[in-house]
Amino acid sequence: MAIPAVPAAVTQTHWDRLAIRARWKRRAKSTGLYSFLIAVSIPIMLPYFWLVTIAFSAKRGVAETEVLWLSISILVPTLLAYWIWSIFARNIGQLLMGFLAVTAVGGAAFAVYVLPELHLRNFIFMVETNFPDVVRSRAGEVSGGISFPNVWQAFANSLYLAGAQTVIVATVASLAAYYLSRFQFPGRAAMLRSLLVLHAFPVLTLIVPLFLLLNFVGLLDQMLGVILVLVGFELPFAIFIMKGFFDAVPWDIEMSALTDGASRRQAFVKVVLPQVTNGIIAISVFSFIRGWEEYIFVFTFLIKNTNWTMSLYMFFVRDDLMGVDFGVVSAVGVFYLIPSLVLYVAAQKFLMQMSVGGVKG
Amino acid sequence: MARVEFRRIEKRFGDVVVIQDMDLVINDGEFVALLGPSGCGKSTSLFMLAGIYMPSAGELRFDDSVVNEVEARDRNVGIVFQSYALYPHMTVQNNIMFPLRFKGVPREQALPKVREAAELVHVGELLDRRPAQLSGGQQQRVALARALIKEPQLLLLDEPLSNLDATLRLTMRTEIKALQERLGVTTILVTHDQLEATTMADRVICMRAGRIEQVGSPDDLYSRPASLFVASFIGSPPINLLTGQAQNGAIRVKELSLPCSGGVSGEVTVGLRPEHMHFGDTGIPGRIAQLEPMGREILYVIDTPVGHVRILEGGSVAAHRIGEAVHLAFEPDATLVFEADTEALLPNARVLLPNGGAAAA
Repeated sequence: MAIPAVPAAVTQTHWDRLAIRARWKRRAKSTGLYSFLIAVSIPIMLPYFWLVTIAFSAKRGVAETEVLWLSISILVPTLLAYWIWSIFARNIGQLLMGFLAVTAVGGAAFAVYVLPELHLRNFIFMVETNFPDVVRSRAGEVSGGISFPNVWQAFANSLYLAGAQTVIVATVASLAAYYLSRFQFPGRAAMLRSLLVLHAFPVLTLIVPLFLLLNFVGLLDQMLGVILVLVGFELPFAIFIMKGFFDAVPWDIEMSALTDGASRRQAFVKVVLPQVTNGIIAISVFSFIRGWEEYIFVFTFLIKNTNWTMSLYMFFVRDDLMGVDFGVVSAVGVFYLIPSLVLYVAAQKFLMQMSVGGVKG
Repeated sequence: MARVEFRRIEKRFGDVVVIQDMDLVINDGEFVALLGPSGCGKSTSLFMLAGIYMPSAGELRFDDSVVNEVEARDRNVGIVFQSYALYPHMTVQNNIMFPLRFKGVPREQALPKVREAAELVHVGELLDRRPAQLSGGQQQRVALARALIKEPQLLLLDEPLSNLDATLRLTMRTEIKALQERLGVTTILVTHDQLEATTMADRVICMRAGRIEQVGSPDDLYSRPASLFVASFIGSPPINLLTGQAQNGAIRVKELSLPCSGGVSGEVTVGLRPEHMHFGDTGIPGRIAQLEPMGREILYVIDTPVGHVRILEGGSVAAHRIGEAVHLAFEPDATLVFEADTEALLPNARVLLPNGGAAAA
């Protein structure tokens, strides 16, 4: 097919105009994209933001919003100023100076308008075990019927539950995944398939049989019972993820270790395992968070209040004080939230790599 | 240092027989190459020597002891993998020291040895780096140092040069050979590159589909190939093969009749090496279809009544043009004739030039 010739002069004049059009198109596109992303993220961000502000600022027990709007009206212009400045700054020095100025103005506004509103009185539960009664009497109501444990006890229980569960899952999943990745044995393919099928079971369908089972073996109302149940639910997926990581480790280095004088176990520990640390970190974080947020099993299988985990504690606080003092309920929420948030932020780098190992299932 | 012997070795994976009836003796201090296309069982043989695979039948002997069931860690075999198989999480120093850790050598005694081994392969200044920070050639040298540091009785090289660029390959070829001569360690090189095998090894073992096709010096394999397979595998550019019918002292290939000696009859394959052919006044008529300058030589592809024939002529400037009519002559002493169905060499048979020339003799 012949290509129609374009006169040189015509194309010459067009280049500039085409470049301008492309530039505007790019800008319009990114503006549209960002507007959309901001619009959809507002309903997601706002509740978290409100949870935090109300926990640190609520005074009257009702669902206050003044401080929320006040801080948003400072935060949003500050962020906008950062954004606009980053577009117009010509070099890194200007950029830093501008950011410093914006931070100073925003910080000052925050200090003047928001800071005086903040207080820690809603965190009364951290020092006062019987805080629901205190809160109720403050609101002029009679005391409730629920007896609360010390919040630190619930915190320790949650740590124990999530931690023990994580250690078991990480250990068993690593060993099982290594075996599945490296050895041929009858039923291997079927086992791999069933790993995923197991994950398809809605956990709620098993709650009655599990309750009876735990009752029979005498693990009802014991942390160990819930830990084992959680391990059972977490393992298939963790094994699957870990298998992907092990598959990515070349055979050669293992064989090399064997000829270098290592036993099979030494080769695993000294050569193979260090290659999959990212995978172990990833499944550990997920298991830990899963254990930390676990609610349905602890609610069903744990009865004594000394066995309460943070999720149960949160539930009963909400049950007892919702409508009495939103500030205290939010404060408990923030307290419950912080450990998993810290863990996620710290391990983010490793979690991002999980898909890399995972695809090679 | 050790003498290695395969006695009727067989290796099966399930129902698949990978090595059949392998008999081979490798003398103490010898440098041999296992040469063959991929899937011919050469790597399997190597892994049996390393102790990673156990022979299914037969006896594998180091000196005078059967080592069939001796574990890899106890064999004192150094191996360099195609991928080098360096441990990614360790520094070069720890990589090289790794085998010594299992021999119980204390660190202060191990370190000078590591330095010595590193100097031997010229990576002395890279000890603190990690494998990912090294070039392919450097990784290769580190792998070599790691294999040599345990003073192995047997050094195994699995396609050690295939991941290097052409120039580096040449350097490493010379270096490895010099190193082997200096240390006198029995060395087995596995490769699919005939040039690598013939340049480095004292003796080449050509394998095909789990069987040894021929054992001999590089010259034996080139000048007196035992079979059609060896003839076509050794030599670059590859040998020209013409299949025809032998009868009454002549071989008929399509409409061309080539006189022959040695009392041949039945279906045969004639092998003519491009480097043993030249342009002549008489001979096989043809027309030049293509020419490929290779620097020192020029490879001509000639269109003849018996198909395409390649011939190699010295000089860097082409003396002929594409389309030119030529006659191809060859040296009758360098011709090879194979029985077509057994593919075995007919050692006394020679092909002579058609009409006149050598045919008159």
